[in-house]
Amino acid sequence: MASHTSATQLPEFVPSDGATGTNPPSSSGDSGFDASTLERSLGRRLRPARWMGWRLRALVAAALLGCLGLFLLIRSLAATPQVDAVWRANAQGQLELVAAHDPQLQPLEGRQLLGIVGSDGAVLVVDALVLQRSARWLVSDAQRDRHAQLQEQLAQVFMHPEVKLFFRDGAMVTVKCKPRGVAALGALFWLLSALALVLYLIAMVVLLSRPSLRNLLYAVMSTCQAGNLLFIAVESAPGIGLPAGFAHWDLVARVTFDLLTAAAIVHATSVHPRPLPARHVVSTISWLVAFVLAGLVAVGRLPEVWWWAQADAIGSGLISMALLSWSYKIEPNPFAIVLRRFGTVAAGTLALLTVAVAAASRQPGMQFNIAAVGSVIWYVFLASLLLLVPFLSRSQQVMREFSMLAGISTVASSLDLLFVAMFSLGQFASLTLSLFLSLGLYAGARQWILNQMLGDNMLTTERMFEQLYRIAREVEVHPEKTRELLSRLLRELFEPLELMHVERSSTHARVVGDGSTMLVPVPHLVEDAEHSSSGSVVIRFARRGKRMFTQEDARLTDRIVEQLRRAVAFDKAVEQGRSEERTRIAQDLHDDIGARLLTLMYKAPNPEMEDYLRHTLQDLKTLTRGLAASSHRLTHAAAEWKADITQRLTAAHCDLRWTFSCDREIVLTVVQWSALTRMLRELVSNTISHSQATQVDVDITFERNAFQLRVSDDGIGRNPQAWSHGLGLGGVRKRVKLMGGEVEWRENLPRGITCCVRIPELVEKR
Amino acid sequence: MAVKVLILEDNPVARSFLCRVVRESFSDTIVITEAGDLETARRHISLTGGPRGLHGVDPFKLILVDLELPDGNGMELLTELAQYPATKIVTTLYSDDDHLFPALQRGADGYLLKEDRFEVLVEELQKIVRGQPPLSPAIARRLLTHFRHSLGGGEGQAPDSGFAPISGFQTSRPVPIEKPLDHERLTPRESEVLTYLSKGFTIKEIASLMGIKWFTVNDHIKSIYKKLNVSSRAEAAVLASKQGLV
Repeated sequence: MASHTSATQLPEFVPSDGATGTNPPSSSGDSGFDASTLERSLGRRLRPARWMGWRLRALVAAALLGCLGLFLLIRSLAATPQVDAVWRANAQGQLELVAAHDPQLQPLEGRQLLGIVGSDGAVLVVDALVLQRSARWLVSDAQRDRHAQLQEQLAQVFMHPEVKLFFRDGAMVTVKCKPRGVAALGALFWLLSALALVLYLIAMVVLLSRPSLRNLLYAVMSTCQAGNLLFIAVESAPGIGLPAGFAHWDLVARVTFDLLTAAAIVHATSVHPRPLPARHVVSTISWLVAFVLAGLVAVGRLPEVWWWAQADAIGSGLISMALLSWSYKIEPNPFAIVLRRFGTVAAGTLALLTVAVAAASRQPGMQFNIAAVGSVIWYVFLASLLLLVPFLSRSQQVMREFSMLAGISTVASSLDLLFVAMFSLGQFASLTLSLFLSLGLYAGARQWILNQMLGDNMLTTERMFEQLYRIAREVEVHPEKTRELLSRLLRELFEPLELMHVERSSTHARVVGDGSTMLVPVPHLVEDAEHSSSGSVVIRFARRGKRMFTQEDARLTDRIVEQLRRAVAFDKAVEQGRSEERTRIAQDLHDDIGARLLTLMYKAPNPEMEDYLRHTLQDLKTLTRGLAASSHRLTHAAAEWKADITQRLTAAHCDLRWTFSCDREIVLTVVQWSALTRMLRELVSNTISHSQATQVDVDITFERNAFQLRVSDDGIGRNPQAWSHGLGLGGVRKRVKLMGGEVEWRENLPRGITCCVRIPELVEKR
Repeated sequence: MAVKVLILEDNPVARSFLCRVVRESFSDTIVITEAGDLETARRHISLTGGPRGLHGVDPFKLILVDLELPDGNGMELLTELAQYPATKIVTTLYSDDDHLFPALQRGADGYLLKEDRFEVLVEELQKIVRGQPPLSPAIARRLLTHFRHSLGGGEGQAPDSGFAPISGFQTSRPVPIEKPLDHERLTPRESEVLTYLSKGFTIKEIASLMGIKWFTVNDHIKSIYKKLNVSSRAEAAVLASKQGLV
């Protein structure tokens, strides 16, 4: 049952006034879509299958009924008496014997048949018109009347047990009329009746899976076309002659089928994908027209039936196109666009065929065969389109190709007819020319049509990968933003008109609402219970409402999410590996070198050496800590600097005045943190050991990415330009330079030295 | 009566240095027992009444424990000595909260950084024994997080520490129905002290900021230390009972 759920999933979009309060990321708030509507329609899917029972029974009953009907039809056809021979029309519009099983007839192959005489002596003059089985595609009324009469007479004649066949050169053969038999129905009959049955079954499935007006309309169209196909199938059986009364009913039924289909299409497009304001008026008028015309045809009061039927069909097609355009203007549902394309192609080919048949009918030497074939192909094309509609978002490749072939064939046969009719080309030349043209059209337009059917190509692979990895990196840094980042990715991928979040979650991406909507569950990319976001991202109207979501899109999205997951996992693994490695190195350095330095320090012969070693040890500790920790916030670092400096200055009986300000919090890299820490320590150590200061001012500001550090004392230091920069101050210079800043020392008034460090761009780097 | 001190330190040079620090710090008569590994330390402790500190036996009054030892981690000994009635001090080269915080949770009364100057160490040791344990900004931060998170958001009243994640996207955590016990919660004052400490303020500065005496600040710090130990023991008990160990 899963295959048709999307067809029946017609979310009834309530025309709301844009009350999408709970989903701010929606790009167009007033699209008339309410999240709760979607929720409701999603919920409906999960409704317990209480009704499934009778629906399933009804479906089985409908299927049995269809099969039974087909079986009875086949039986009655097989019982129709016939002369077992194959005929064709020649250029003069006469009937020519092609092949026969009867040994009496075999020598006469290639001769023209003039008439048939029944056992009662009535003579029936036959011509190629007997090969035209259906009156539906006969243009003029006169011809249609003659056709009906001829077929009726034929049926009468074949009722006799024996008939005499007159040939042009005077030969007369008496043959027996035998029932046709099931085997003689021809391959085309079986194919067409199978297609008709499939179409009928699909219609029943769609209708019964969710009985609603829209699905009822679909069922009406499909059943009518299935009926049409069935009639065509009956007519396609080889030989001449039809069951008695068939010709009359054939016309009425087929015209009625076409009229009903046209009205149903107009009605359907007025309520789907979006109910239009004028739907009642439009649908009433179209049904009225259809019923009036059908009624007139049934009582035989309608002149120029063919023209009326064609006009109604083409007109309905055009009205549907207009309705779909209107609907798209109100709500940019890609379904409307795709339906419009289908409609345009169907109506266009029908118009072409109509023109071609009309033009050909004016010529003497009728192209009955081609006209008949053209119309048959067009009906098959229409049927294939109807079959395709419920599965649009499932992208049935085979079905699509098939319908395209059928469409192109319609074009080919129409062109063939036109060439013969208008340019008086020979039959062979026109056939070749039209075939070439159509094949060229098919080859050239195939890709374009495919793209048009389902929208343009996606983001290039290259860009997508780039996006994917960039977003993976961001997800890693901000796991709480997974949903937003995923939304961004989807936005770039599908360019949906609307994007929102719902709380419902699922395991896979799903396409709902006839391919207008896709639900993508937000993945748990990081194992972090606190930051994991749940729910789904709902995107609607891909490619700004020009494209429908397909199952492939859903699969692609699933794969993309999977790739995202992998990318995040990979990045995490790499980061973890690096961090473990760093920690290990840090541990080793700290434990081994640190312990030795400590021992050395305890054994230092004099205080200078001890201080030097202590300093080294502290540097080592800073280094190893920088290695082990992954990130340092500026404010945290400042707090530690302050605590550290306070302790050391207190030990040196020196006061600290500390000011720190920053306009925003940043994360220092390991390098920055370690450089700043060691620099500050160096400067303070320098002051402690040389200046004999009683007060040290440390002032740190971080403003608009610029870092400034000022250390001033009130000590005895003078003339800093003359200082020889040893390991300590040289190190300060080097580090400042590495960070792209500058440092200067100057004298204070009345006493002391100020060291000023300025780093213009201290931004966290990812 | 002499004050008994146990120094557990594997590096002999460092050990003798620490001995000097201890002797310098106190005017009482000092009896120092030295141990180079956990094994030796455990033996000495069991000689003085075992890790529970039985009555009637003369226990150590002060125990200095190094974290990195040849036969294990000093943390193990701290865990064993949870009930032992001595001032326990961690002596280490590690000054980061990752190493020190667990030690404090296991009942250490303070820590000394081995690379500090002799005078500094003496002063710090005296302070710890007097009940003025050190608390670096990093550890203060850790404590704040510990009390705020692990105890289920009971500290909602704590003043904003100023280092909440800037990204600001916090899913609302489920707030537990039962209120945490008193010994698991910080008083508003204590949280305030911790917050200031985490920002690098000195005790003196905090005292003037809060308008209280500096020794009151110290009292808060001591109480925080205790609560940390008690709360982690309570946590451990809960964990143990969950695992069916008790």
